[in-house]
Amino acid sequence: MKKQQEHIEREVGKTMQMLDELKPLEVHHQFRVRLMQRVEGEFGEGSKAMKIGFSRYFDLRLALMALLLVINLSTALLSFKSNDMQVSAGISELLDNMGDDYTTQEFAYYEQTASQSVDTATDSTVR
Amino acid sequence: MKNAAEATIADREITRSFQKSGMTSKEDLFRSLVAEHQEMVINTCYRFVFNREDAEDLAQDVFVEVFRSLEQFREESRLSTWIYRIAVTKSLDHLRRIKRVKRFGSLKRIIGAEDPSGELPAPFSENPAEALAENERANILQSALNRLPDSQKAAFLLSKQDGFSNQEIAEILKTSVSAVESLIHRAKKNLHDRLYTYYQHH
Repeated sequence: MKKQQEHIEREVGKTMQMLDELKPLEVHHQFRVRLMQRVEGEFGEGSKAMKIGFSRYFDLRLALMALLLVINLSTALLSFKSNDMQVSAGISELLDNMGDDYTTQEFAYYEQTASQSVDTATDSTVR
Repeated sequence: MKNAAEATIADREITRSFQKSGMTSKEDLFRSLVAEHQEMVINTCYRFVFNREDAEDLAQDVFVEVFRSLEQFREESRLSTWIYRIAVTKSLDHLRRIKRVKRFGSLKRIIGAEDPSGELPAPFSENPAEALAENERANILQSALNRLPDSQKAAFLLSKQDGFSNQEIAEILKTSVSAVESLIHRAKKNLHDRLYTYYQHH
């Protein structure tokens, strides 16, 4: 039993010792070259050009969207204004029509008879 | 490794000259940073992943991240501490990813599809028999290490690397020296217990 425990402890010790015996790595001579290539690929001129291309593309899209928005807004404004003019013109036309309606020949009869009746009433009182 | 005071002065000079020079000489400064820290970064990653190729890939990721975020670096900590912190974070992320892949691999094995990416080679020896035994031992150690909490694992593995004092580990992990000592102590105990349990049953 004790022997087995000692054996286990020895195995545990050997396994844990591996970390102490781990030899430090020497850097591969290509490491820096590969790293700089990767950095160049990710952040270098090529990707910059691509980014600039993308930003130009997005700028163009943004400008187009702004233009469309301005056109839409001005169209809406114009149509609103013309509607407003039409409405005001409609009202004045209606008022004119109404005025015309009550000054027509048909209504003249009522006006005339009304004035005649007033005249006859004053004549009788004078008498 | 240089002592802490020398490293601080060098870091400050690099940062200041970078801030003064702007974007044009960013690459030159980056080159000098890589030259100065590449060995330490690769070896830090190697402690975590036990594999040269993975360590170099991770070190590349670390330096790409350094290049990307160099302008945002504030002198809250030393430049070297900041770089090693990125190395630790990337290494822990890599181990988590492997864990996920392994989990997925065992699921694949259950449904009948093998996944070779789960096996991690650990070339410690030139002799095939020894290499095989060491490979197995390395796998046992790695699986025991992977079951430690991240903070314990990071503190313990950094303490095993030459050149990191407990003070520096505390700065990298953004904690106190006493906390680092406690983390290392608990990591050793947990690792011992896990390995003991493993050898008891095998």
